[in-house]
Amino acid sequence: MKAEAKNEKGNGGNTPFTWVGKRVRRIDGPEKVTGELKYMTDYQYEDMVWGKVLRAKYPHARIKEIHVEKAKSLPGVIAVLTHKDIPGFNGFGIVVPDQPVLCSDVVRCTGDAVALVAAETSEIAEQALGLVDVEYELLEVVSDPEKAMGKTSPQLHPDGNIHSHVKIKNGNVEDAFQEADLIIENTFYSPRQMHAFIETEGGWGKMDEEGFITIKCPGQYAYRDRMQIARALAYNPERIRVISSPIGGAFGGKDEITVQIYLALLAMHTNGRPVKIHYSREESVVAGMKRHPFKVQMKTAVKKDGTLLANRVRAVGDTGAYASLGGAVIALAIEHSCGPYKIPNVDLEGFCVYTNNGIAGAFRGFGVNQVCMAIETHMDMIAEKLGIDPVEIRKKNVYHQGEVSSMGHVVKSSVGTHKTLEVAENCDLWKNREKYKAEASEPWKKRGVSLATSFHGIGMGIGLPDYGAASIELLPEGKFKVAVGCEEIGGGNSTVYAQVAAEMLKCDISNIVVVQGDTSQTLDGGTVTASRSTYTGGRAVATAAPNMVSLLTETAAEMTGVVMEKIEWLPNRIVAAGETISYKRLFDYLYEHRRKTKVEGHFMLPKEKEEIKGSGGAPHHLYGYLTHVVMVEVDTLTGETDVLRVVSIPDAGKVINPQGLEGQTEGGAVMGIGYTLFEDVLIEGGYHKTRNFTDYIIPTIRETPIIETFPVEEAEESGPFGAKGIGEVVMIPIIAAIMSAIYDATGARIKHLPATPERIYNAIKQLKEQEAQPAR
Amino acid sequence: MKPIRFTVNGSPREVNCHPSKTLLDVLREDLNLTASKECCGKGECGSCSILVDKEVICSCLVLAGQAEGMDITTCEGVGLTANMDIVQEAFVSEGATQCGYCTPGLIVSSRAFLNSIEHIPSVSEIKTALGGNLCRCTGYAKIIRAVETAAKHQLENKGKLSLR
Repeated sequence: MKAEAKNEKGNGGNTPFTWVGKRVRRIDGPEKVTGELKYMTDYQYEDMVWGKVLRAKYPHARIKEIHVEKAKSLPGVIAVLTHKDIPGFNGFGIVVPDQPVLCSDVVRCTGDAVALVAAETSEIAEQALGLVDVEYELLEVVSDPEKAMGKTSPQLHPDGNIHSHVKIKNGNVEDAFQEADLIIENTFYSPRQMHAFIETEGGWGKMDEEGFITIKCPGQYAYRDRMQIARALAYNPERIRVISSPIGGAFGGKDEITVQIYLALLAMHTNGRPVKIHYSREESVVAGMKRHPFKVQMKTAVKKDGTLLANRVRAVGDTGAYASLGGAVIALAIEHSCGPYKIPNVDLEGFCVYTNNGIAGAFRGFGVNQVCMAIETHMDMIAEKLGIDPVEIRKKNVYHQGEVSSMGHVVKSSVGTHKTLEVAENCDLWKNREKYKAEASEPWKKRGVSLATSFHGIGMGIGLPDYGAASIELLPEGKFKVAVGCEEIGGGNSTVYAQVAAEMLKCDISNIVVVQGDTSQTLDGGTVTASRSTYTGGRAVATAAPNMVSLLTETAAEMTGVVMEKIEWLPNRIVAAGETISYKRLFDYLYEHRRKTKVEGHFMLPKEKEEIKGSGGAPHHLYGYLTHVVMVEVDTLTGETDVLRVVSIPDAGKVINPQGLEGQTEGGAVMGIGYTLFEDVLIEGGYHKTRNFTDYIIPTIRETPIIETFPVEEAEESGPFGAKGIGEVVMIPIIAAIMSAIYDATGARIKHLPATPERIYNAIKQLKEQEAQPAR
Repeated sequence: MKPIRFTVNGSPREVNCHPSKTLLDVLREDLNLTASKECCGKGECGSCSILVDKEVICSCLVLAGQAEGMDITTCEGVGLTANMDIVQEAFVSEGATQCGYCTPGLIVSSRAFLNSIEHIPSVSEIKTALGGNLCRCTGYAKIIRAVETAAKHQLENKGKLSLR
């Protein structure tokens, strides 16, 4: 065979690429811009019924009785279900299934579900919810995570309120604190950010005459959703089909079960009629996952020359009423709490704590956002105190590939931090920052420019299965169907998979059809989370493609009687001794001979061999790195802050699609701006004060700064064409960079996010008062 | 119930529904025009944006009864994959859509804005025109670019701009 066979990583040969690395237009673009694409919540069926969920009336209460008779007798009501109607295990949760599907004895947050209703119309279903009479006995509400950890607090779960505790210790921090020339110590608070995906949770459930259940519901891992549904229904998972793609935004907020189990339960009681649930925004705010609010105490020691000596961290995360991925979030936070630096002495611990404050779970960044703001603020403070350039102090302390991290492990995969810092110090905004700062738009407005760097693990870490799988099938019309489990969450992985397949199969991208997130069509290839889907799914496609090349080359040889060596694999066709054979002819031949036209590719993610004791899954084998430079303008009269410019410098390995990468860096930057400056779901005494987008402000187009993206491409050998991940790190260092830029502009250090106008105004006021009354 | 009559995407339509049903639900459920989405139900997000005459409105804030006699354009009316409008082409080529759920509303608002201008708009003008449409994925940077690109093409098509 003359085809220049790339190896299964796609790394072989020095051929210039046709598709990889190019600004290929999104393959799902036309259907999205015309509105022709059907999301799961867009489907309609003639014989449909509406499903609704009854939420807990109180954040913490004992259920004495649930009376459903009145609701059941309302005309138009088809079913009213409680915990008694759950055939299997009454619980769900990705790691520990501690969240009841329908509460039986205790409710622990106002997002708890108590009953389900199916009715002819949405209005009747709503009315029926009001007729379900639940008798409660009120219990004391646990709203402060620190108090929840104390012995006197009411215990929300049998094992107490501390869901998990991770601890990493290296060297001797006490000795290092003695030796240090400078010690910085601070406490930081971070907000309860809402994913605010535009499509609220919803979908369809249907059971057919044979008892086969189909759930159409956006999610981030169809196979795991199916497992959780099957467990609750005590049902054979093979008799459940989950379709989970496309998704109208998720960001981690649809990683856990949302409404899939409710849909399946109701579908068992509607005589085969499809049932729809679609949350209002208000219901989504109360019932949906949020980002863990953290309290982070950090003490950092350094030598005069800027060498980091020690870091002590204590982080407490509020996971709300149930665990979901809370334990993993805290573990990842602690793993990343020292930044991409080599600190020889560390003492790090994190607690994941139950309260009655809604539920927190996975969210883009997964705990790293909350600790990055602490270590990077410390780096900025240390640089200033020691009179060292902020870039230099970071360069001095970053680990390089092959060096030992603060976790104490040798980092074997590619590390781009140093390169990102070099690009940062040479970018226009940084080089000319004094000039730009002098150009404030009004005399009472002050500008600041600052930078921060961070990193983020790719994949699952130690102790969890982590693999990719893809299939490629030759279709009757001669197209290739590439099927990958990882859903199209919006980030553009469908286009990446098409690019990888087209590159390796040497065909036009229009000859590739991508199918994702469907247990009946795609292999189990893990989640679309953990910045893993380009890396893992792309690599699985790249592993499957040579199998298709072999299959079709052998088929062509057999068809024509030409020896294998004379079969040429050329762009968009195969030539056997001068004769062109179309893909379609190859399909026809295989079909006539009753042979399969489908191949598979599997990929196990590389892992570290040894887990760091007590770390809950650290270290990761792979990390993505990123440095942000930002410029802010603060109105010193009101405390209002505008982010005017952002430079995003990612190391995502080889960039498969620069336009898609920019989509991530731009979207991540703006989500980071929202997190830093205004987003927070307020909960008081267990009740949500935040209701909708009227009082939860996410960035609008007006907040969009000038954003530049300068990728450094440190190729990762194990990735498809050298790619790593990008989805999360894009919103992380910008948080600390904005905080330091506010300081640069005003002299006020904000350690409690969001940095609202009120907080900034008060901090500036306090500063002025201190200046007016110098300490005696 | 008295039928409600209005024009959608150039065709006269008649629906029989409760007059207090939202126009958004009528479009989605009675007419199967699902490009318009519900996201907040309060007129905050712009995902349900439609054009009525020359004005962009949130269809979640209009009741079916109020729609009597209206001339409505939804995203589907701006263009379909077979005949995409220049603003839709620009959103694809500039990468201005990600999850895509907010996109139809943005397309409608962008089309209305482009209908109202005969110049290449400043970033500030674009930000004002699209300030009512929330997007959580893109950070809006590529949306701004897409509207600029579409404006250029619109002027070219009208023969008012020659790009060398």
